[in-house]
Amino acid sequence: MPGTGPMEGMRVYNMKLGMWVFLLSEVMFFSGLIGSYIVLRFASPEQWAEPNVVLNVPLTGLNTFILICSSVTMVKAFAAIEHGDQAGLKKWLVGTILLGSTFLSIQVYEYIKLIHEGFVPMAARYAAEGGPLYGSTFYTMTGFHGTHVTIGVLCLIFTAIKAFRGKYSKDNYAGVEVIGLYWHFVDLVWIILFTIVYLI
Amino acid sequence: MADETTIERKHPRYFLIWFYLLVLTVAEVMVAFVSHLPDAVAIIVLLILAVWKAALVAMYYMHLKFEPPRLVVMVLAALPLAILLTLIVLQEGF
Amino acid sequence: MSTATAASPLRRDFQHWADPTHPDDRPFIRKYIFSTDHKVIGSQFLILSVFFLFVGGALAMMMRWQLGFPGQAMPGGGVLADTQAAQGILLPEFYNALVTMHGTIMIFFAIMPLLVGVFGNWLIPLQVGASDMAFPRLNMLSFWSAVPAGLIMLSTFFVTGGAAAAGWTAYAPLSAVPEYSGVYWGQKLWCISLVILGFSSLMGAVNYITTIVNMRAPGMTWMRLPLPIWALLTTSVLILLAIPVLAGALILLLFDQLIGTTFFLPETGGQPLLWQHLFWYFGHPEVYILILPAFGIVSEVLANGSRKPVFGYTFMVAAIGAIAFLGWIVWGHHMFQSGMNPMLGASFMVTTMLIAVPTAIKVFNWLGTLWRGDLHFHVPMLNALAFVSTFVVGGLSGVFMASTPVDIYIHDTYFIVAHIHYVLFGGSLFAIFAGVTFWFPKFFGRMMNSTLGYIHFAMTYVFFNLTFFPMHNLGLGGMMRRLYDPNQYEFLQPLQPMNTFITISAFLLGVGQLVFLGNFVWSIFRGKKAPPNPWRANTLEWTLPSPPPHGNFQSMPVVHRGPYEYSAPGAPDDFWPQDAAPGEPSQPRHEPAEALS
Repeated sequence: MPGTGPMEGMRVYNMKLGMWVFLLSEVMFFSGLIGSYIVLRFASPEQWAEPNVVLNVPLTGLNTFILICSSVTMVKAFAAIEHGDQAGLKKWLVGTILLGSTFLSIQVYEYIKLIHEGFVPMAARYAAEGGPLYGSTFYTMTGFHGTHVTIGVLCLIFTAIKAFRGKYSKDNYAGVEVIGLYWHFVDLVWIILFTIVYLI
Repeated sequence: MADETTIERKHPRYFLIWFYLLVLTVAEVMVAFVSHLPDAVAIIVLLILAVWKAALVAMYYMHLKFEPPRLVVMVLAALPLAILLTLIVLQEGF
Repeated sequence: MSTATAASPLRRDFQHWADPTHPDDRPFIRKYIFSTDHKVIGSQFLILSVFFLFVGGALAMMMRWQLGFPGQAMPGGGVLADTQAAQGILLPEFYNALVTMHGTIMIFFAIMPLLVGVFGNWLIPLQVGASDMAFPRLNMLSFWSAVPAGLIMLSTFFVTGGAAAAGWTAYAPLSAVPEYSGVYWGQKLWCISLVILGFSSLMGAVNYITTIVNMRAPGMTWMRLPLPIWALLTTSVLILLAIPVLAGALILLLFDQLIGTTFFLPETGGQPLLWQHLFWYFGHPEVYILILPAFGIVSEVLANGSRKPVFGYTFMVAAIGAIAFLGWIVWGHHMFQSGMNPMLGASFMVTTMLIAVPTAIKVFNWLGTLWRGDLHFHVPMLNALAFVSTFVVGGLSGVFMASTPVDIYIHDTYFIVAHIHYVLFGGSLFAIFAGVTFWFPKFFGRMMNSTLGYIHFAMTYVFFNLTFFPMHNLGLGGMMRRLYDPNQYEFLQPLQPMNTFITISAFLLGVGQLVFLGNFVWSIFRGKKAPPNPWRANTLEWTLPSPPPHGNFQSMPVVHRGPYEYSAPGAPDDFWPQDAAPGEPSQPRHEPAEALS
């Protein structure tokens, strides 16, 4: 019957399905890192310090809050363009970029401070409380998360540029929705990482 | 391919969810520092709180609550693998 | 002409169908180099993989020289550097690199891109009835990121310290500490290359899954999908979920090598076994990635060559799923000798034995497909039959290894090497030969020379078995894997004649592959022009010209039946294309169906 579309499939459009599928691979990537962290810590618990002794929990708690706020601005941007609100889309996208960049800046600031205090990834030069595995796992996990945030911010900038050029509309917002999914995922991973790395 | 033909989807109350996330984050920090729970219990509570927050983000911000069930099934299907990996690697530590 | 889906006003998910009135005016570079057309990308993967297949083969030939004629200068050995050979005799350190790179290149740069990159790209859009993949530009990125990965891997032969030499399994701490292996940059570049390749595979998996799930033509229900598609879908899910774990492990290893972390180094609390768990958690699904698409191809070719439906289609699909599912919980069988908890070892033994069941179901169903069929022994069919026989041998040796107490004796011996090659060469590679000879006419528009095809098949089948079967005996005799000089052990000296015999067989096996290469290259330019459906097959790609135009179909095809309606009762012909109108068997569409060779 010409004119009918393909089979129903997953009942969401291709880019959304593709992004969800990709995010599942990211779940496995972070699970590998988190699993490694857990086994290394269980086997050598003496190499870890108590929460807030080396790492700055209040500052990172604030940073977590900032990232969560950026998830709100992101979903507001998506809700805006769903209704064709161009101004809202632009406003909330810019807000997300600013909050995401703030998160990254605070992380970089934290890294610099920690390195000065001798909390480094390489075993030979580790000079803080606990042992070198503490440093190695910390920087690996938060570093890869930070890399994902950076990529997210760059994609958001790209999306915002398109938004300012009027490329999105009530009928064409897939790009916003899928970058939103990625961004929320990055927030979600941080929620888990913050708990495991900073609070436990 | 059938997909959302209408944009009249139910809208979650985004700021309400934000507030819940804030409350849960504060609860987590309190459990970690202020509570006098024994370590093992604290860890379990913290993990539950973290997963709860993650679920809120997934269900409401990522709209899983409003997506076709088959998509939710696909996403959930991958989780046991992630858990399996973590648990099996864990047993080496003993 | 493009069609929005009828139900979607959101201007997404267009397909750009073939338009015969519109000339294809893409410049050469967009058509053949930086192409987003899945058919071209598939052929690009073919060229890449065949190149690496021969590189991997050459490395093996060098290893076999050392084992077959130890202490004798290798012909051509003069070109090797002083770090690699002394007066043409391979040095042990270089032998370790050969072993490592043979495995790495064959698995990651030959078999994976062949099965997944070539057949995934060639078959998926056409067999589901789509104009191209869901994400054509991502597809192009997938190929073009595999190329630098391959170049980096090759470059390791030329850096100081030589290529990676810790085995394709790269166990830490040998792989993490340059002082232990003598390899400096080679091992680091090995990690980097595989991370990039992993990214390439991952992008492919996302594309394949989305295309198969969301872009099936009307009437192409799940249970009407050709088995290669089921296999490729399942393989893509395995890639999606396993490769990231490898990526994580490689990154941790790279950090140990580069930054001075100690994730896998025991002196400061690292866990060498962590590497093994991470690696094999990926590694076992990886071997199913290397075989499932082969299963799909073989089912397709056997049904076609028997003029019969695949026996037990539903169970074939279920078996693919069961194998993929069980494949996640067997990885410990690679670690039986690691000192793991015996209870854990026992559980892995049980799950490993279990996975033989769905595999056996598939084997019996292939036999059932052949049984009392109208057998046509065309070149693809012979290769598919070879697959069944040699894969079964490989599977049976697997049962021995699955038994933990038996594995104590045969682990890390040539018994394992025999198993690996029976399933990867006897299995995957024969299926690849079947698939390439089967689909070559469709994608290159020309027939391969069948005489050369028969010669290649015969040489390969005979010399393959002569090369690898004796390795079972070598292994049971105690010869270890990755061993440069067996003669240093008195108890292995009597095995030297067998090693020499294997080497000679291996050389002849290699010569046989040159026949294939020659046939392939010659046929691309001078082969007889191929009709649309030379094998009288049912799936959608055979309804199109050879090769199909950009955009594949002129409009979305409609499917009315499953893919295995061969010799359907009451039909005038022994095949019935999936899109032929309901109630009417095959009709001549382009040209009369040609007799099979």
